[in-house]
Amino acid sequence: MNGNSEETDEETDDVLIARFAGNGITRDSADHFRGRLDRRLLMARCADCGRWQHPPRPMCPACWSWNMTMDEVSGRGTIHLLMVLHQGPPATGVDYSTGHPVVTVELEEQRALRFTSTVSDDFPAEDLAIGTAVEVEWIERDGTPMPVFRKAAS
Amino acid sequence: MTDRNPMKDQVAIVGLGSTGFSREGGASSLSMALAAATEAITDAGLTAADIDGIVATNEPGASGPEAIAAGLGITEATHHTKPTPVAVFSLLDAARAVFTGAADHVLVVTPVVMGPWNSRRAAADPWRRGARSGILPVPEDATMAAAYAAWASRYIHEFGATKDPFARVAINSRTNAAANPLAAVDTPLSFGAYEAARMIREPLNIYDMDLPVDGADAFVLTSAERARSLPHTPVLIHAATSGIVGKNDEDQLDGLHRTGQHVVVDQLRRTSDIWIDDIDLFYPYEGFTIITLTWFENCGFCPPGEAERFLREHWNDDAQRIEIHGRIPVNTHGGSLSEGATRGTGHLREAVHQLRGTAGARQVDGARAALVTPGGFFFNPQGAVLRTAT
Ligand SMILES: [Zn+2]
Repeated sequence: MNGNSEETDEETDDVLIARFAGNGITRDSADHFRGRLDRRLLMARCADCGRWQHPPRPMCPACWSWNMTMDEVSGRGTIHLLMVLHQGPPATGVDYSTGHPVVTVELEEQRALRFTSTVSDDFPAEDLAIGTAVEVEWIERDGTPMPVFRKAAS
Repeated sequence: MTDRNPMKDQVAIVGLGSTGFSREGGASSLSMALAAATEAITDAGLTAADIDGIVATNEPGASGPEAIAAGLGITEATHHTKPTPVAVFSLLDAARAVFTGAADHVLVVTPVVMGPWNSRRAAADPWRRGARSGILPVPEDATMAAAYAAWASRYIHEFGATKDPFARVAINSRTNAAANPLAAVDTPLSFGAYEAARMIREPLNIYDMDLPVDGADAFVLTSAERARSLPHTPVLIHAATSGIVGKNDEDQLDGLHRTGQHVVVDQLRRTSDIWIDDIDLFYPYEGFTIITLTWFENCGFCPPGEAERFLREHWNDDAQRIEIHGRIPVNTHGGSLSEGATRGTGHLREAVHQLRGTAGARQVDGARAALVTPGGFFFNPQGAVLRTAT
């Protein structure tokens, strides 16, 4: 673990917003991003019917419960959508000249519950394909923990 | 879902104006809106004094209905709205205003404006730089435009498709653009050039996506009855709708088997007497080529996943363009891949030109019905069936 986790309690809204502005952080998704600072992949879940909901929403669309919580997901799933960016917004550690993969991973918790990120630096090129089993791994970008996906240990 | 369509054939498009589209920049959004609007009102045989409704698409950086009313010298208006971008939203809003009696002659202005977020030229323009938000998005995002590349990969995976049908959509547009003086890009495209093209968001390359442009289209709508005494052959709105599925976050969509496109098609089929066997022209949106493939499939030209076979079979190799059954041309103006990111307003404008016989060198003889399907998969799929008044 790194030092970021100790800061979490003091993380004011302003600091959190500044840190995740490029991710489109909102009041409804703030706790998801607080979880990232602790290297935990949290997703919204209805405490009444158990449905997961991503992106986070204040009310459960399945049962209209307002009792939404954040639960940690396993981080395991399969690549459902895949693109390789050859241009895009500048970001630390991202080299578009070699192509920057963006994967949308369908998580094992629920059908069509997906999380979009990139893959680990050592991801085998031959496995970068829709259908590949992956699991979450944490890296840092600009000092902020970031969930990415590595090939699942089989 | 309703099968009611009391507005069927009751509202007509009677005026068209367009600035044409360009990547040069240098004009204000208000000047482009006013140029298109004055042309459309004049084309309809009307004056500013006749216009009592103004619909101006809520495009980032563009002028609203109040600025356009002031700029045109409109006397008074009883309908003034700014619908969300993509053409049929504004068309429907204006048509409903006419049909319900909110206004008699409604002007629709659909501008597009390059911004500092999508154009280097606009970012260097001191008059546009102010719109910059200052927040850089992260690259790891499969929403908005990027979502089309992500789902294109899924389409290719699920159906074992190649890039061949994507190429045909792009080549068809550029072939047709040669006869469209409004197009921003009108040079032909070869299969070889398509295959060699620079990837942007792989699997989509630079020819699979439209480019930001400046320009504006304008339309004038009135009742079918009033239209009979105006200069042009009226083009009637036979059926039109938008449609979404509830679960429409781009990367959370259940799948390509049920998107807003299906909702639109089902609704049009419930409310239209005219369908794909009856049309003379087809205008599927192609701001991203993947969108066009699924419009072909979802409208019922071929089953899911078979656009590749369909486009190969309905390809005119001499003309280098799609001709369905050798009869129905597709995006006769060159679409958004040639005019630029006009959000379907060009598709709508061209359909009206063709149906009233003012398409010039592009005119399809005897065209009487068109299917126009702007929008993509998530939050803006829409469609309209237009027909010539008899
Ligand atoms: Zn619930």
